Amino acid sequence: MAQDRFTGVGLGLRRPHLEQVARMEGHGVPFWETCPENVIGDGGRYHRMACTILDRDPVLTHGLAMSVGGFDSWDEEYLRDLGEFLVRTGTPWHSEHLCFTSVDGSCLHELLPLPFTREAVRHTISRARALQARLPVPLLLENITYYAELGAKEMDEADFITAVLEGADVGWLLDVNNVYVNALNFGFDPREWLSRMPLDRVTQLHIAGHKKFGDLTVDTHGADVIDPVIDLMQWTLSRLGRPVPVLLERDNHIPDFDELLAERARIQHAYDAALVPSEVRHA
Amino acid sequence: MPESRTLRLQRALASLVLNGDEAAIEADPGRVAHQQGLTGSDLRSFRDQGPAMMTYRELARMSLIEPLETMFPVLRALLEGAGSWGGCVEAFLDARMVRSPQYRDIAPAFLGWLAATRWGQDRWPFILELAHAEILEVLVARFPDSNPLEGLHADPGPQDLIILDPATQVVSYTHAVHCACSESPVPEARPTHLLAFRDGEGLARLMELTPATAALLVQAQTCPLAEAAAALNVPDLTPVTSLLRDLRSDGAIAGFRSFP
Ligand SMILES: [Fe+2]
Repeated sequence: MAQDRFTGVGLGLRRPHLEQVARMEGHGVPFWETCPENVIGDGGRYHRMACTILDRDPVLTHGLAMSVGGFDSWDEEYLRDLGEFLVRTGTPWHSEHLCFTSVDGSCLHELLPLPFTREAVRHTISRARALQARLPVPLLLENITYYAELGAKEMDEADFITAVLEGADVGWLLDVNNVYVNALNFGFDPREWLSRMPLDRVTQLHIAGHKKFGDLTVDTHGADVIDPVIDLMQWTLSRLGRPVPVLLERDNHIPDFDELLAERARIQHAYDAALVPSEVRHA
Repeated sequence: MPESRTLRLQRALASLVLNGDEAAIEADPGRVAHQQGLTGSDLRSFRDQGPAMMTYRELARMSLIEPLETMFPVLRALLEGAGSWGGCVEAFLDARMVRSPQYRDIAPAFLGWLAATRWGQDRWPFILELAHAEILEVLVARFPDSNPLEGLHADPGPQDLIILDPATQVVSYTHAVHCACSESPVPEARPTHLLAFRDGEGLARLMELTPATAALLVQAQTCPLAEAAAALNVPDLTPVTSLLRDLRSDGAIAGFRSFP
């Protein structure tokens, strides 16, 4: 199965590293995650290097600005280009965020929270189904961090996510750092939260660093991953009991490639340890 | 169909992020919800979570402003010197001109807004040229890749048209905006002609042109080279063809095609 190629800890393909990665075949990164918005319609030197890597190495695709929970009509031309791009990369699935990013044609370039209401659940399910029908590969939705609830809630975040995933019948890109950050900001236990969730839908994980600003913790993707988040990843992996791919996200304060490789290796080590069968661990 | 509550909530959050009147929003984050006809507990949720709602304003504005700060450092220095950068950015965001889901399109959208609104042009007549010159190389560097043009030849003849590489731009400014820098952001008023193109490595290059060469590069795209040269009083084609050959091997010109 094509999915079997995707296991272990991958990295996001970032512009400052393109030159080095394009020249390097034995980098040891099992797969890359790339954002189609940044590749489709681009050109020039960095674009060519990105294409060299995307045509050579295993790739997962992760969109930033589809506004799945929004109301703006689909850009059919872009969706056609996206479909071609997904086929070209050979990605086994495509992920988007469970959020909205544009309103009345105006793009906010931020992952904004959906209302935790029955109406928003119904709306997001129909949008996700419509998007899925336009994609050549299965769609995954990712849980986001949020800093405020949009409007008066009728359910909590866990029920909202579950209802959308089940109603749209899509897979889950579970971002464990986002769960951890939300748990800090809203004061809940992330393991208890995860125990309530449809873990059978988890197809991929995200892990990242975050930062505290006063009382608020923000999902910055700009620092090393802290131990409690690694613990949460391990806890999740052993609960799942299957080697779903983990993507280490790093979008800000991007370190040298060698440093990022070392951070990847550290997470990979924790990943391997979490998936050792318990009889072996206790032998 | 009546607008759904979900859409009104999204519109309210978008207004909270993009609207210009920061002091009014800060004083009452519920104002944007009220403007969308939201009432009761929905309206209260904006008020009760005021500081957290304002975090969205801060985060989203940061991600929208960052490409402007990166791409327009000279314009920023110019406007900061006059205490106007913040107001300029605020007016741009308030106008909701970022319509593309591609992050790299934010800076061009800002340029489009400057052109459409003529913001600041009474005070700084060169402002649009300056902004254009600041992103010219990036626009050229990232111009979408396409398949090579076919049926072109490498050597220019007198009856040929010039076919520029699709990424190439010939631009004319009334100010020497390409010489402005953050330390000295006011450009000299001097007609300036530039050729921006992508070299064989795919990197952007900038070349200053004489007025005659710039005119020739523009006119010989639609009328034969010899005719364009004659119209510009260029008596001898030899130096022209040698320059054109160089520009072709540098990547600025895709090739030449006989005038039909
Ligand atoms: Fe993520």
